[in-house]
Amino acid sequence: MSSVTQIAPTPVAPVAPRRRARRRRTRQLGWNVLGLLVLVVMVFPVYWMVATAFKPGQKILSYTPQWFPTDPTLSNFRDAIDQPFFWHAVKNSLIIVSAVVALSVVLAFLASLALAKFHFYGRKAFIVLILGVQMVPLAALIIPLYILMSRLGQVDKLTGVIAMYLTFVLPFTVWTMRGFLLGIPKELEEAAMVDGATRFGAFVRVLLPLVGPGLVATSIFAFIQAWNEFIIAYVFLHTPEKQTLMVWLASFTTLRGTEWGPLMAGATLCALPVVVFFLLVQRRIAFGLTAGAVRG
Amino acid sequence: MAAIELAHLSKVYGNDVTAVRDLNLDVAEGEFMVLVGPSGCGKTSALRMIAGLEEITSGEIRIGGKVVNDLAPRDRDIAMVFQNYALYPHKSVYENLAFGLRMRKVPKDEQKRRVEEIARILGLGDMLQRRPAQLSGGQRQRVAMGRAIVREPKAFLMDEPLSNLDAKLRVQMRAEIARIQQSLKVTTVYVTHDQVEAMTMGHRVAVMRDGELQQVDTPQRLYDAPTNLFVASFVGSPPMNLFEAVIDRDNGRVVCKVGDTELELPPDVAAERPSLGNYAGRRVAVGIRPEDVREASGWDGARLRGRILLVESLGSEQLVHIEIEATPLERSDLVDTAAQPPGPSLGVDDLERAVTLLGRFDRHLLLAPEEAVEVAIDPRLLHFFDLETGVAIPTVDVPVAAEVAR
Amino acid sequence: MASVAESEFPLASRRRRRFTRQRIGRALAPYALLAPAATAIGVILGYPLYLLVKMSFEKYGLFELIRHKGRWIGTANYAHILHDGQFWHVLLRTILFTVVNVTLTMVLGTGIALLLLQVSRWLRVALTTGLVLVWSVPVIVAVDIWRWMVDYEFGVANWTLTKLHIVNLVRHDWFANPWTGFAVITALIVWGAIPFVTITVYAGLAQVPQELLEAAAIDGARPWAVFREVTLPLLMPIFVILTSLSIIWDFQVFQQIWVMLDFRPTSDYYTMAIYAFHQSFQISEYGLGAAIAVVMVLFMFGATLVYLRQMLRTGEVQ
Repeated sequence: MSSVTQIAPTPVAPVAPRRRARRRRTRQLGWNVLGLLVLVVMVFPVYWMVATAFKPGQKILSYTPQWFPTDPTLSNFRDAIDQPFFWHAVKNSLIIVSAVVALSVVLAFLASLALAKFHFYGRKAFIVLILGVQMVPLAALIIPLYILMSRLGQVDKLTGVIAMYLTFVLPFTVWTMRGFLLGIPKELEEAAMVDGATRFGAFVRVLLPLVGPGLVATSIFAFIQAWNEFIIAYVFLHTPEKQTLMVWLASFTTLRGTEWGPLMAGATLCALPVVVFFLLVQRRIAFGLTAGAVRG
Repeated sequence: MAAIELAHLSKVYGNDVTAVRDLNLDVAEGEFMVLVGPSGCGKTSALRMIAGLEEITSGEIRIGGKVVNDLAPRDRDIAMVFQNYALYPHKSVYENLAFGLRMRKVPKDEQKRRVEEIARILGLGDMLQRRPAQLSGGQRQRVAMGRAIVREPKAFLMDEPLSNLDAKLRVQMRAEIARIQQSLKVTTVYVTHDQVEAMTMGHRVAVMRDGELQQVDTPQRLYDAPTNLFVASFVGSPPMNLFEAVIDRDNGRVVCKVGDTELELPPDVAAERPSLGNYAGRRVAVGIRPEDVREASGWDGARLRGRILLVESLGSEQLVHIEIEATPLERSDLVDTAAQPPGPSLGVDDLERAVTLLGRFDRHLLLAPEEAVEVAIDPRLLHFFDLETGVAIPTVDVPVAAEVAR
Repeated sequence: MASVAESEFPLASRRRRRFTRQRIGRALAPYALLAPAATAIGVILGYPLYLLVKMSFEKYGLFELIRHKGRWIGTANYAHILHDGQFWHVLLRTILFTVVNVTLTMVLGTGIALLLLQVSRWLRVALTTGLVLVWSVPVIVAVDIWRWMVDYEFGVANWTLTKLHIVNLVRHDWFANPWTGFAVITALIVWGAIPFVTITVYAGLAQVPQELLEAAAIDGARPWAVFREVTLPLLMPIFVILTSLSIIWDFQVFQQIWVMLDFRPTSDYYTMAIYAFHQSFQISEYGLGAAIAVVMVLFMFGATLVYLRQMLRTGEVQ
């Protein structure tokens, strides 16, 4: 009847678990070595770009690669910036990107509001449309787009490029923004209305502040897309003064042929803003394309 | 079917978070053992160690006499029912039920026979082709049970299997699980935080707190003879009334002073608890079950005077909150629901000395709030605890092990 | 709307009318909100899509470009490309390229995601950070990096492979032979696509409920069986979406090849997109280019449908 059953203390043989632990540690080490290898292979190209950008010319053109820039120099960056049309390209890219970001955020917010907060006839059709339209290959559309833009007199004009970029980022930004809006519990708005706010008041006081991060994420997405785009800019902007940074970078050749040092410096400069912004919002935008695919 | 023995079982997370401390527990063959305690008491960690899902820090687990410390879950021949059922969402009910058999390479037709039999018993016959998402909560629960049963394992492990059901279904499934266990006679370890579930289902109940075992006993013994204040306050609903009293010895008589009222303990009560004499002149914790609190008419012993704060009618009886003059207990090891906050000071001047006593009274008694009332306390029904350690002051014919938390 | 009831209960009727007006407002609001985005998409995506199909049935050369009007020639463009040996070569090359790239991307990406579960915490953080870094590199920048790495004279790839005694690649030009040239392009594309696949699959793996894996382990499944029976089926939607997206992206590959080969790839390097681009913008046969593009779109349509179906099915949960 004793309430706690006494069991003779059996000392556990210490050998077995220790051996098991050692086996586990060996396996862990194996995985780590493999993981480290993957890391090196994946990151090396990026490292190589940055390392080359800081190396003086004769160290770049050596038959035995120099793995670390031992005497780093900024001369490559100076050469890159001194390339013709660099500042034109920077200015054009900035104009295009800011216009696309501003317009796309406003348009996407309005559209996603309709999709997330209203039930209306044609809602599902529109969702199918914006999902499907993302899949239409740009390489195919560029032909009729060129015809259309030349009819509208928008070839070799920044406005035409802005309009096209805006349209191409819209489907994704609407979709992402819709996800953000859906993530805000309906009860919050309802609570605000119960507490005496109007529908509009609830929208301004509750929804808008909460959707802030979503707005930031979508605008950065639009920024990255517009910054990185190449084909449209390449086809539609003929005059060198009107080219964007990516076209500038792609056609980067000096009088002496390809100079790798300045080219890598230019590439680093072009990638830098994107990398920074991307690292900031990666978590938020990464899953827009597959959102909700796994259910618990 | 096999006995499960836990010997000096401990679980430490990281370096310093001890989830289970030196747990010794014997679950007999075919026994229904319930592990109960508030959240974070280590009961789930203990269960997961038995299942092999959690590594054992130290100690030993034996199933059927065999040490299983180093065995993978699949080699322990146990079945587990998870809190959220863990049904494979991409498999039909049939496939869910057959999965364990398939993994153990049971022949196809044997699988089919057993799955269909279980489905019939559990009333799942016509849902075998459905997916878990298409089932109601109760049906999912049944599938989870079925998946455990169909394997005919050595033991069932259940981790709060009823906590996701609504109240009515929970009562129904409670009985169903107990019945299934009774007819299959499979050793079962059942984890819950609900003491009603523990009391109604278990052959024996193990109460845990902060990783340590408090008491293992049949539900009745747990109720009648809690080994310490924690168990006393945890078991029973509504919980035991607990407050401070002073023991005094007065030429042979032993007296228990509650507030200003002296309750004389009859000689047999004192004789049953020989060590009670050692507490003469000291404060102890005293407990009494709500059903043992009575209205005093016709009682010729000592009475406690009090004031009615609230009357809750339950139909079959009424729960009466009575404010009496006594010192409230202030101990951290009481379960929240039992910690008696000092009631609003209505008649008693000193806030520190007011205790709300909960009584279960006959429904025919006419009682109203604000009324003065006299309460009869039969000293034979009192529980005594050491105020420092919280341990029950032992009675001689029922030795209680001194396995106790601080 | 005037009825007896209305005149008898003026209050009720007024309330009803107000509700109706409100209801109309609410019914129109979503369309008003959608209008700007829908217009933009209609003009710059919808109309060109229609124009593309129309042009594919027209003679559309330089003359027509200036005149802003094509000349209807029926299915002549399609007949032309179907009898064109080069078109079939390009189509086969594109399909082969897509199959190789998608397979490599999915297998390696998933493999690394599974590896992430096994490595120590610090390495997992380092790996995910590295992957995100790679993911963020703009395509044109990536092309330039790889162009530099496989440079025939000073490229680090030639040096390493020679030093490792795998092959002697001193002054080896990878792009002289289209097979090795496509190998480099494949490496570039797979390298760039792995992060997205890995991080998505890894996020999916992290969402698989732990109890399901535990339940399977108790049910007697070995690690491989747990993966095959529980993890894989649960991740299926993710794999479907990722695979269809990869097919869509790889089938229309353009800029990587175009820039890698200095804006003038030889016909050995033509894929569908480049072929269509070449026909339109280099020989000014816009009608022919449109026909090729239409065929390309049709080929990708299957993958698009699979993607859409999966997205809608999972999207309905929300």
